[in-house]
Amino acid sequence: MSLGGQQLLEYLEKLPGTAFRRLYQSPATALAIFRRMLSHHAKVIVRGLLYMPDPFPLTSLDIWFPPESGGKIHRDRTIAALRSLHVLQVSPPGKDRTQEIQITTSFKKGLQLAFEGGGEDGSFGVPSSLPVDPTIDIGYLDKYARKKWDDILHYVVNSLGVQSSSEGVSGPKASVKELLLAGRLVERRPDTRTGIGITQAGFTFLLQESNAQVWTLLLLWLEAADHAADSGMDSIDMLSFLFMLSSLELGTAYDTSALTETRRNMLPSLVDFGLIYFPRDTRQFFPTRLATTLTSTASALRTVSSAFTAATANPSGEPGTTTSTSGGPAGATPADKTGTSKGIIIETNYRIYAYTTSPLQIAVLALFCQLNMRFPNMVSAALRAIGFGITADQIISYLHAHAHQQMVREATVTGKTVLPPTVVDQIRLWQLENERMQTTAGFLFKDFESTEEYAALSRYAEEIGVLVWKNDKRQLFFASKHEQLRDYLKSRKKGE
Amino acid sequence: MPRAIRGVLIQCEPAIKSIIVHLDSVNNDIIIEDLDEQTLVVKENMVQLLKQKLEDRLKETYRPEEPLADSD
Repeated sequence: MSLGGQQLLEYLEKLPGTAFRRLYQSPATALAIFRRMLSHHAKVIVRGLLYMPDPFPLTSLDIWFPPESGGKIHRDRTIAALRSLHVLQVSPPGKDRTQEIQITTSFKKGLQLAFEGGGEDGSFGVPSSLPVDPTIDIGYLDKYARKKWDDILHYVVNSLGVQSSSEGVSGPKASVKELLLAGRLVERRPDTRTGIGITQAGFTFLLQESNAQVWTLLLLWLEAADHAADSGMDSIDMLSFLFMLSSLELGTAYDTSALTETRRNMLPSLVDFGLIYFPRDTRQFFPTRLATTLTSTASALRTVSSAFTAATANPSGEPGTTTSTSGGPAGATPADKTGTSKGIIIETNYRIYAYTTSPLQIAVLALFCQLNMRFPNMVSAALRAIGFGITADQIISYLHAHAHQQMVREATVTGKTVLPPTVVDQIRLWQLENERMQTTAGFLFKDFESTEEYAALSRYAEEIGVLVWKNDKRQLFFASKHEQLRDYLKSRKKGE
Repeated sequence: MPRAIRGVLIQCEPAIKSIIVHLDSVNNDIIIEDLDEQTLVVKENMVQLLKQKLEDRLKETYRPEEPLADSD
């Protein structure tokens, strides 16, 4: 699961059960959760149980989890993940009967409707029957979304005050700026040129892959709606609408009059984010690639950024035929064949040569490089120690994802890693020098009534994968989440 | 019923931990629970401040090497 999925998962896990029941009323949501949020094994379980009329004994599930794939621990973690999304119900343990599992009614109904088709009309959007402007094609939408999104990123980067040529950049809408401020990606600083400054969270945001960036912003938006209760916005309905958008087809016009009024009111904000294109004086809207890839798994579809690279590299060609540039074998992308691909070359002496003209990419590089020279099509720089709360992994994955085709090809031929190992090691060492402690947010469990209680709860925490640290002697342990542990304690009390 | 206390688990070297304990001894407003030589739980809202203070303290005694000397 990508970073974007991880953030979404954390948001979803905080929602109450009633919110899930409402969410799953929409088949699009159930399908999106199924596609995006579940691991491979979880999908197998859901598919297996979806059309089963009766609850399924938990012990029979063991056949699906052979010992070589982790066995019981893997099974328990999968089930815990499914329960936290309210997809699966597990009956409480009792002495005289076995535990049984079944798909929750609301999710079952939603997913069945999604698979079979049916239910109320328009749950997957209603295509517009009005004539469509022929100039609005996929290439146009990609360009539009890219411009919108780059504007937002520029705003965050520019706040840094690094060199940036901002020609043709109009900046995002005031509402988006406020959102970035509220989410503490940038903060007001009167001493800088633009009056705002970037925060650590902002750096993290910049180095994320586009899909994760979009989710970061959207979740900020949902949280803002939660706080402003009088705005008439309902975050659950908003989330449901986002899931619906993600199931729409790129390049197709959809009818706005089929949307409820609250959803129509959301459209202007989504336009500001670049998720949809909304031509003036029409009753149509077009989802852009940013919207339609919201719930696709990163491995199944290429990233938005590489899609953009493809779209800009051959604007007239078929943008749907390229493979992902990150991790994909070299020589497979048309961009490579045409020789227009851009990329970063890293030498073992920490020198970086970036073939790019994008001011945005240069500004991002400036976050962790010392820029030395700038040429019309290339920037020469040197890696420097990291700061600003950027992690080594972020830098490494960024360099990896943007490595030059030549480096990727060389690595495939010689069977070595794409980035020089010395450089990767050095980046990690810099991090160790700066980060003197490892922090994990969570909950400390203490004051147990009995040794048995401690042993049972800490074992359960380990099984579902939330245990971070424990000390058997002092009967203390630290877990990253507490919701399921609380439920477990309750059911344990009942069972006694 | 056991208690669950929200906080941030910090795992670090014993030397760093002793600095944290020392920082806490001023107001006792950082540490929730001292777990062992390399582990402690601190208040969530104090982590940023703690990192800052720790950095200041380390700067007094420790100077990271400038990692890059330009070799042109």
